[in-house]
Amino acid sequence: MGLFTTIHTAASGLTAERLRLDVISDNIANASTTRTAEGGAYRRSRVVFRPRVDQPYWRSPFLPESLQNKIGAGVRVVSIEKDMDSELVLKWDPTHPDAIKTGPKTGYVEMPNVNVVTEMVDMISASRAYEANVAIMDGSKSMFRKALEIGG
Amino acid sequence: MLENTTFAKSVDLLQRNMAVSTLRRQVISNNIANAETPNFKRSEVSFEAELGRALATEKLDKSIGVVTNVNHIPFNSTVDYRTIGPRIALDYLTTSKNNGNNVDIEREMMQATENQMMYELMTKAVSHEFRQINIVLR
Repeated sequence: MGLFTTIHTAASGLTAERLRLDVISDNIANASTTRTAEGGAYRRSRVVFRPRVDQPYWRSPFLPESLQNKIGAGVRVVSIEKDMDSELVLKWDPTHPDAIKTGPKTGYVEMPNVNVVTEMVDMISASRAYEANVAIMDGSKSMFRKALEIGG
Repeated sequence: MLENTTFAKSVDLLQRNMAVSTLRRQVISNNIANAETPNFKRSEVSFEAELGRALATEKLDKSIGVVTNVNHIPFNSTVDYRTIGPRIALDYLTTSKNNGNNVDIEREMMQATENQMMYELMTKAVSHEFRQINIVLR
């Protein structure tokens, strides 16, 4: 309880957004990786966010107080998942060591499903969210300082 | 010594408002931390309107609602402002992004700043109350 809770909540946002930036930079770094330990080309990763305190999405006046909404405690990252939904990009390059040797796709190389534009947009959104959390933390600090000045 | 004075009431009201301000800041910071979480719905704190209504009942004309029988339903009765607490409301009806999230970061930042200014104003007001007492004591 108190202003420190606010700082902890903002800190959880900072951690989550930083991890998201890490994952985005990993995706961009591997934008043309064709060979991975799992086999095949690299697939982009995505982070999955969830609130720390799961809230009910409905309300009732008949519910006891203990089941009503609590103050949330920030955000957490549940998992980092591989994007298996979007297709790998095919690129014509028969001299590439990972080029497909047989079948109708002969001569093509499977490239990662990383779209650099999407990643850059995600990166901007993550860094703006990070800055918003920093602003909240700064504001809380100055509020706390003002409270200490009472009577002084 | 200071019970039932305007000083005690002002300081009490101010500290209640400051506690609610702190709570509101927690809620806003949670909204901002979850600005990118899918299906997250923002929450809001309501307090001032209800407090204002409770304080307004203190000024009502009591002679109109005088009860002469136990079975009469009283009206114009005073509501003690100390029984009023903050309420956290979930804004579950709106959606503003494709991922089911409804946090508007500009609006949250605006509310956070407004809340911070109000808090700082209230700390100033509390200091002022205490300074007045100091003048009397001197």
